[in-house]
Amino acid sequence: MSIADALPQESQSGMDDAVATVSGSVATPASEPVTHAPRSRRAWFAAGAVVAATALLPRGARAQGIRRPKPGPIPGTPNIPNEIPVAPIEWASDTTRLLRRISYGVTDADVLAAKRYGFRGFMERQLDYTNIDNSAVDAFVTAKYPLLSQSTTQLFAADATTVRLQLQQATLYRAAFSNRQLYERMVEFWSDHFNISITKVGYLKAVDDRDVIRKYALGTFRDLLYASAKSGAMMSYLDQIQSRSGAPNQNYAREIMELHTLGVDGGYTQTDVAELSKVLTGWTIAGRGDFAFDPARHDWTAKTVLGVKIPAGSPSLGAAGIKEGEQMLDVLLKHPSTAIFIATKMLRWFLSYDPTQAQIDAVASAYTSTGGDIKSMIRATLNSAWLRDAPMKLKRPFHLVASSLRTTLSSPTVLNVVSINAQLTTTGQPLFLWDTPDGYPDKVEYWAGNVMARWNFAAFYSALATGEVIVDAPSFMKGNTADSTVAAIDTRLFGGEIDPQLRTSLTTYLTAGTYTAARVRETLALAISANSFQWF
Amino acid sequence: MTTDLHEDDCGCTEYRELSRRQFVGTAAGGSMAAVAASYFPAWLPKVVLAESYASARDVILSVFMRGGADGLSLCVPFGDPAYYTGRSTIAIPRPDAAGTTTTKGIALDNFFAFPQAMAGLMPAFTATDLLVVHATGQFNNSRSHFDAQRYMEVGKPNDPALVTGWLGRHLATVPPLRSNAPLRALGLSSGLQKSLVGAPKTLPIANPATFALGGAAATSASRLSFLQSDYGTASDPIRAAALDAANTVALLKSIDFATYRPANGAVYPTSSFGNALKSVAALIKADIGIEAAQVDIGGWDTHSGQDPIAGSMYRTMQDFSNSLAAFYADVVTTATTNGVTAVAVSEFGRNARENGSNGTDHGRGTVMFALGKNIAGGRVMVNNWPGLATANLEGGQDLKVTIDYRDILAEIVQNRLGSTSLPTVFPGWSATMRGATR
Repeated sequence: MSIADALPQESQSGMDDAVATVSGSVATPASEPVTHAPRSRRAWFAAGAVVAATALLPRGARAQGIRRPKPGPIPGTPNIPNEIPVAPIEWASDTTRLLRRISYGVTDADVLAAKRYGFRGFMERQLDYTNIDNSAVDAFVTAKYPLLSQSTTQLFAADATTVRLQLQQATLYRAAFSNRQLYERMVEFWSDHFNISITKVGYLKAVDDRDVIRKYALGTFRDLLYASAKSGAMMSYLDQIQSRSGAPNQNYAREIMELHTLGVDGGYTQTDVAELSKVLTGWTIAGRGDFAFDPARHDWTAKTVLGVKIPAGSPSLGAAGIKEGEQMLDVLLKHPSTAIFIATKMLRWFLSYDPTQAQIDAVASAYTSTGGDIKSMIRATLNSAWLRDAPMKLKRPFHLVASSLRTTLSSPTVLNVVSINAQLTTTGQPLFLWDTPDGYPDKVEYWAGNVMARWNFAAFYSALATGEVIVDAPSFMKGNTADSTVAAIDTRLFGGEIDPQLRTSLTTYLTAGTYTAARVRETLALAISANSFQWF
Repeated sequence: MTTDLHEDDCGCTEYRELSRRQFVGTAAGGSMAAVAASYFPAWLPKVVLAESYASARDVILSVFMRGGADGLSLCVPFGDPAYYTGRSTIAIPRPDAAGTTTTKGIALDNFFAFPQAMAGLMPAFTATDLLVVHATGQFNNSRSHFDAQRYMEVGKPNDPALVTGWLGRHLATVPPLRSNAPLRALGLSSGLQKSLVGAPKTLPIANPATFALGGAAATSASRLSFLQSDYGTASDPIRAAALDAANTVALLKSIDFATYRPANGAVYPTSSFGNALKSVAALIKADIGIEAAQVDIGGWDTHSGQDPIAGSMYRTMQDFSNSLAAFYADVVTTATTNGVTAVAVSEFGRNARENGSNGTDHGRGTVMFALGKNIAGGRVMVNNWPGLATANLEGGQDLKVTIDYRDILAEIVQNRLGSTSLPTVFPGWSATMRGATR
């Protein structure tokens, strides 16, 4: 059960280096060396580390080129040449680089699949996610987490804690084992973008996850925004259901502009917030959380939002009053600030904490020219030339946990992920529990200090020998030697490109004790804890 | 009350600055007192010796009330009639109102009152150790939680080049209280709060009581050693964080949080905020060189169902006040080696008038709190109460900001935390000293 399933017979590796371009606007520097000399793991990691360090520097310093290391001496280590001939080809190829960005961990089966399909072929296949067979994972989720497919009414009657746990566990399970990895990465992206704390809305978050986030994660941003605006969970979370004529509540009106579309510097004013809140009066919920427009709660006076005049209406228009709000959603969707805001955020998600203006322009252009087609934006973002230069990103705890599961379990033989899910709390990223509407931070300086929690997760996880998850120590002991165990760790966790220094230190640790399953587990924990496993 | 200490410093600044630089430059090696002594001419007064210098400084507890706390409920301006006309369902009754005492305010003076939920802090207020500053906040008028919090924690609005926090820069520009302390500051959080970014030897530690490397005890030392070595080649901030974490394990292991007994019969609420303050108390009392802690308390974004009398905001305020009150009784009043000062801020206040959901939307001016034996408390500090009548409100909606929060923090940073680097801690802000400390 992996992406390698149902591979085509014909190798398409000739497309490996194809550059994905969009509307001719992608800046591929002509002067960039076209040789794809394998960039060593070490050099890669140094690049990532530089970014981590420069994240704390003033923007001016980054603009001077520290951020995007080019071939040459590694900053801070002037005597070490950039190219250290230790890296196998796979890690440094465009396809595996792509694979690393769009997945929760590179398995050997994934590498095989990606190389068979080639760069564009693999990306297109991941984008066309409904045609990737995922039946085993879907069957598992349906069987283990039955509440998630229930109606709003049924969910209302269910135990709130059970709903939350099923949603969290299903999300973790899918991230780790789904063959639709890019789709799952986008689900995480939109779950933060349209963040809703389950503490406030309960079962409605499960409905939102299914009918908004997962339904449109790779659709159009228009459909996604409309669905979110009419989501009972979002309307409850941001108090839209409280808003009515004469007593508008500004919470949702503000956040839809600040966090969902325009961005905080997107060009709206406090007056626009107040006016939009009037436009949206009457947007509420009925029954157990289904969207409803209530003309009796709508403010029919004239309003002006972002310079757009909405003339006074009349209660006699009834249900047609919803058109005012829909008109404003369309204004927000077409606003150039929205294109830039979503483009920047997507680039940060997949490519770089600090995308260039040219990159932002290209992805924003993809948004504008396609009416917010998310797949087109992803194609523009995952440009192979950019990927070649992209600094590494720090895995957030959810990503670390999912990638540990994905790379260490040869197949999803897990019975459940109850205790693993609980680890997300101790590592600081319990799903759907970020309180405020901005979602979990995606910043090095926020997560970098949390190393002890990461190490403790690794120790906990690697010791799982019985019960719902069995980390299969014997599968790392097939050669019955320290070298073969570390080689297996290299293949499975690091795509065959482990830092030679880490290879040596893991071997040293393993041979310092008796070669037992317990010692192997500890060595595996150290590999998961190691600095280089924290980046992707 | 306003005193400009820049002018009062008359010559002291120069030698304090000298001593600071020497301390910073030599903090890495040996006993600071010994090293420092060798640098200073014999004629300098003994107070410049490092230990004396350091022990004159307070430890700081910095609290962020996230979500935009409604200052008009936290400290009720019952003397302003417009408070009542704007809040028909959520106003706290006057202290002299007829009827039950369980709902009406507790007078702080003839104009302001605490709600019943804040009763826990009355002993500190009565002892003149609690200062309430009203109509304060930021002059930048962002109503975005996230921008306003960032500006406040960074200590300067609208400067994308400045990514370190005010407390981080303060810690980076003073010598450690204890030269060999492996951990100088912590954020009680899974991720480091912006206030602390840039601080040396500082970690986010969500729960100090469980800060240790899991797995088999027999191998924990060798595994920790492995990780120190592995992260030694990483780059900051993750390298520093890893090394600090490894060095902190033994330190925190030596503190028995489970059996910690607060002084003076103080009882911390079992909320996450109460637990966090209790952990901070244990750390401070362990006297291991912790000089700052950042703790957050959420629940202040009261767009609907605010109910500061008996409902949602009542519980939030009660958690806030009872936790701080326990910290006051347990730590502030008993501190020996170093004094302890606490501050609490929020990114903005809320509309003067309630909305249609029995709540309040994002506003401007709010309150902040300072707590300590050297805080000039027992009063509500205002800079001419701007008033809540519509004509006096900012944009017709909000309590105006009349005191920049940095004025209060700067005075504490300089007078209680021993800083001589205010231009670095609050760049671009020339603080007005308003007599928050004594």
